[in-house]
Amino acid sequence: MTDLIYLKRLFQAYYQEERESIPIVNSLNLREFGFIPWEKKVFMKRHMKFETPDELKDNIIQNAPKHLYSSGSLYMLPDAKEMENKKYLGCDLIIDIDVDHFYTPCKNNHDLWVCKECGNKGSGMPDKCPKCKASKFSKLNWVCDDCLDIAKKEIKKLIYDFLIPDFGINEKDMKIAFSGHRGYHLKIEGDELRSLNSDERREIVDYLTGNNISFELLGLIERSKEIHGLSKENLGWSQKIMRKVEEFLSKPKTEIERILLDDKRFNFSQNYVSSFLNYKDDFLELIKKGERNVWAIEGFGLIMWKKFLKEIVKQVGVELDEPVSIDIHRLIRYPGSLHGKTGFKVQEINMNELEDFNPLDEPNERIDPIVFKTEKNLSYKLEITEMEVPMTKIKGAKYGPYVKGEKIEVPHHIAVFLLCKEVAKLI
Amino acid sequence: MSISNELVNRYPWLPSLKKYYNDIGEKPPVEFIAEIFNSPDNHQIAERVLNIFKAAFDNLEEIPNYQIDNLNVYVYLLLKIILYALNNKLITNRIANLYSKNAYSDMERENNESDIYEISHDLGLKINYYDPPIEYGLKIVKDHREPRRTNFTIHYIDYLRLASNLRDEYRKLTNNTLINGFVFVQNKTLIRLIQEYVRNKLLIEETDDKASLKAFIKEVSRIQGFKDLYDKILSLWVERKEDFDFTFKIDIKSKEELLTLYPPCVLEVLKKAEEGQNLAHHERLYIVWFLLALEYPVENVINIFSTLPDFDREQTTYQVEYAKRKNYTPYQCSTLKSLGLCMAEKYKDELCLTGYGSKDPTERKLLKHPLAYVRIKQYRTEKEEEYLKNLAKRKLEEPKNQND
Ligand code: SF4
Ligand SMILES: [Zn+2]
Ligand SMILES: [Zn+2]
Repeated sequence: MTDLIYLKRLFQAYYQEERESIPIVNSLNLREFGFIPWEKKVFMKRHMKFETPDELKDNIIQNAPKHLYSSGSLYMLPDAKEMENKKYLGCDLIIDIDVDHFYTPCKNNHDLWVCKECGNKGSGMPDKCPKCKASKFSKLNWVCDDCLDIAKKEIKKLIYDFLIPDFGINEKDMKIAFSGHRGYHLKIEGDELRSLNSDERREIVDYLTGNNISFELLGLIERSKEIHGLSKENLGWSQKIMRKVEEFLSKPKTEIERILLDDKRFNFSQNYVSSFLNYKDDFLELIKKGERNVWAIEGFGLIMWKKFLKEIVKQVGVELDEPVSIDIHRLIRYPGSLHGKTGFKVQEINMNELEDFNPLDEPNERIDPIVFKTEKNLSYKLEITEMEVPMTKIKGAKYGPYVKGEKIEVPHHIAVFLLCKEVAKLI
Repeated sequence: MSISNELVNRYPWLPSLKKYYNDIGEKPPVEFIAEIFNSPDNHQIAERVLNIFKAAFDNLEEIPNYQIDNLNVYVYLLLKIILYALNNKLITNRIANLYSKNAYSDMERENNESDIYEISHDLGLKINYYDPPIEYGLKIVKDHREPRRTNFTIHYIDYLRLASNLRDEYRKLTNNTLINGFVFVQNKTLIRLIQEYVRNKLLIEETDDKASLKAFIKEVSRIQGFKDLYDKILSLWVERKEDFDFTFKIDIKSKEELLTLYPPCVLEVLKKAEEGQNLAHHERLYIVWFLLALEYPVENVINIFSTLPDFDREQTTYQVEYAKRKNYTPYQCSTLKSLGLCMAEKYKDELCLTGYGSKDPTERKLLKHPLAYVRIKQYRTEKEEEYLKNLAKRKLEEPKNQND
């Protein structure tokens, strides 16, 4: 039995056992479904539809796909092969926050890459190979508590800084799920939102991220050689930005300096940093008082101020995967299904569970995404097949790092994880 | 609350039209037309419709001698039927722009908040009306602080429906105040959103069903009054059609020449402008800078925008003149690509896709700047090699300063 067949049977057994608890999305019969099977070289099977929950469950149990998706959109004919023929009815608003798409510092420890052009390798998240400037990599991305915490912060920001206060969206209309790998999905259902087209969705995305914001329109202007800045009195993005600036200026001087110099953050040169630090206390004072808005830092013209504000906006805005929210024909991971690259469950959680939710070490059995735990301390023997495998920390215990050829004995959920990641084989 | 008959006459695109003029709404168009042209007012109505077409073809920004009375409703409905019959996107866009702009000016002149509220309400927009106005910010100029207030907030879904097609930066949701699902809008902005509603209402899709269209025209053409009006409009159109081609050609003699000299990214924007579609902010900047760089007169550049739904001559003049003074260099290809404005693929343009220079594909240089496109096309008659030798000297590819 190959490892893939082993995993497929495992998934199958899981779905069989959990048949009753597989969640059912609303308007099931109007959604398109897609499977990615275990067999290599077989692409996604799309354009499927299921009339009833039982039909769906039967199919999942029978096929036990590696990945299972359903559409955010509703169609009259979800199984039509061409988009034009599906008779589109509307689409939920979906927001995907996934560490794969943005920078986290700990990636330097656990995300590995090999340049496809020159074979150069390293860790982190480079845009280009530092050696040959090519941008094609083979990557090995790892799960990590810190990354998941950052993703959770983003989703909380999304909900509590934007969706509720600004958009007035009701808590009960939001559904949150752990993606089964490195992020979260948030889905908002509602007839009004469903009718939005892609352009309109893009406007929402821009609002949530702060992309394409115009500082001039928010009030930044140069008048008789003076820079006039934004005002926290102005509700909306101005206020969000100014609060963040205030928060930033209240940090200790050394920390401000470090952040201003950081090439992943402000990336200011030393001169600018010095003049910024000289003025920082006055600047904070000015903002707190809120009476005048002339920003006078030595050497800071409009361009520098915009550079500064841009970075502030990045911190205020939400790191989301834009195409997921804009493209209305996307398929998203089905809640309650298993993620074929980790063996973790795509776990729906309630809003009030979010704060304490800990995907890699969740004490609450009902919402624990790690479903293949070992009974009776049974362990599995594996051989590592990947050159390097980063350290894995699940359920509070650390495994690895490993190198190719290493023979290991690990609990069941770790074995499943490493097999799904395709970095080890059963021996 | 019911909207007044007077408002419906004034703004016949209001949904409540059905309530007051239930009888005409129900009628098949042919019967409706027959009735109009049998009525004593038929000359009046036909005259007014013709007047609107003339104004649109003359590229006016308002309908001259526009009258507001109960005939207005018939004028509006007849206008829509004729647009359907003409089945011409260019004309429909022009009329929709003109008619909606006219509505905008009228509402702005009236500037009656309770009317605006009633209109919005009738359109089914979710809005809140505040009297006295609600504060949502501060304007600080020097030491002078002035609160920002408005009478209206509108639900973000309605806002997006009407505003997402308006590409100006200041209508982007991000640049506005959004609280608890409602966007704070100034009266003028709300009126502008209503204008967009009116425009959309007139933008009837071109029909593919040519057969039933033909049958329809045949049938209504039996009504002499209608036939006369329809023919008049058609012949006006044939006369004016020429002017609808790019009106700013200077040393470019024909449209064909323009088509061969300009890169796809420019043609696309010009085409959109010509069709009266909304232009995105970057599209506007790009076309202005591009044409100014080729030394087009300011006046001609401004006129390109005169077809746009939100054209404001004064403001456009100011902006174009400002750009002229600043002497901006138009975006380069890489910028245009990242803005999604490069049309090389869409137009399958050889120069853009495969570059220029050597015959050997590996030696060819890719375009870096759309201005180079024009120059290369102009010099293609010369020997390409000779041209390339001079290229370094001319430094065509290096923009003077970056504005992206
Ligand atoms: S390659 Fe350059 S000139 Fe050609 S369409 Fe694209 S942006 Fe325009
Ligand atoms: Zn490389
Ligand atoms: Zn991490």
